[in-house]
Amino acid sequence: MKEHDEQFENFLREFQPRRPRALPAPLAVKPIWLRRLVAAVVIAVSLGVSLWSLWRKSPPRKDLTAAKTTQALPLSLLPLTQLALEDPTRLDAVLTEASRHVLPSLRGSESTLRALAKE
Amino acid sequence: MPERRLSADEVRRLYDQHGPALVAFACSIVADTATAEDVVHQIFLRLLRGDTLIPELPVAYLYRAVRNAALNSRRKGNRSVSFEDQPVAAKSLFQHDDGNREAALALQAALLELPDEQREVVVLRIWSGMTLEEAADLSGVSLNTAASRYRYALEKLRERLKPYRKS
Repeated sequence: MKEHDEQFENFLREFQPRRPRALPAPLAVKPIWLRRLVAAVVIAVSLGVSLWSLWRKSPPRKDLTAAKTTQALPLSLLPLTQLALEDPTRLDAVLTEASRHVLPSLRGSESTLRALAKE
Repeated sequence: MPERRLSADEVRRLYDQHGPALVAFACSIVADTATAEDVVHQIFLRLLRGDTLIPELPVAYLYRAVRNAALNSRRKGNRSVSFEDQPVAAKSLFQHDDGNREAALALQAALLELPDEQREVVVLRIWSGMTLEEAADLSGVSLNTAASRYRYALEKLRERLKPYRKS
């Protein structure tokens, strides 16, 4: 029986598995640090571009301009106090001048009162 | 056992040496030559990329890896082309020493008729040159189970291939 099996095994070995198709070349894989660096650069660039385009599209806001104007005239408490003690008349003049920039205008064709009256 | 990364030359040499038997082995699980080749390529490409460390004696590792990948592929139902639906060129997994193409196709058909576990042990024993102990170890069964599977498989193959044997 064993000899019988061996004969048959030898018969089976007359058949050879065919050679499979050639092994393809593996795609070059970049090292992990390089992949991370590329991802970080891509994110930074896309963030920069979207912020830039956002900034380009938005119109300049009037309230921001007004705030800037206000900030341009600093009213510091200490010099004002000193001025009040030394020369009250000049203090009045300084406050009047400052109020033109800080408070809404009540005179002239562009005044706030005129605008409200029109409404 | 120490493990190491293989060089591209070593991987290609292993593929030349064991590729045909590994594809035959994978084919005993997925029953489709093209899928079997894909499965074997997948394992060797992983080795070429250096993703995997393998033992000093890589043959057992290769068979185990191919077995797992083929079982996964079968579970996912990848390209389950039936033997009858395959073109003739794809069908002929074997070639006969004397060029008997009909006998080669008959062998393949007879193998496909065997239950999976019997086909596996026959391929491992005949074309991969493993002992029954090694085949049993790889399939995760006892030596007795592997031996009886092998015996039943040989009986069926002998019957099916009788017309092609020289008396």
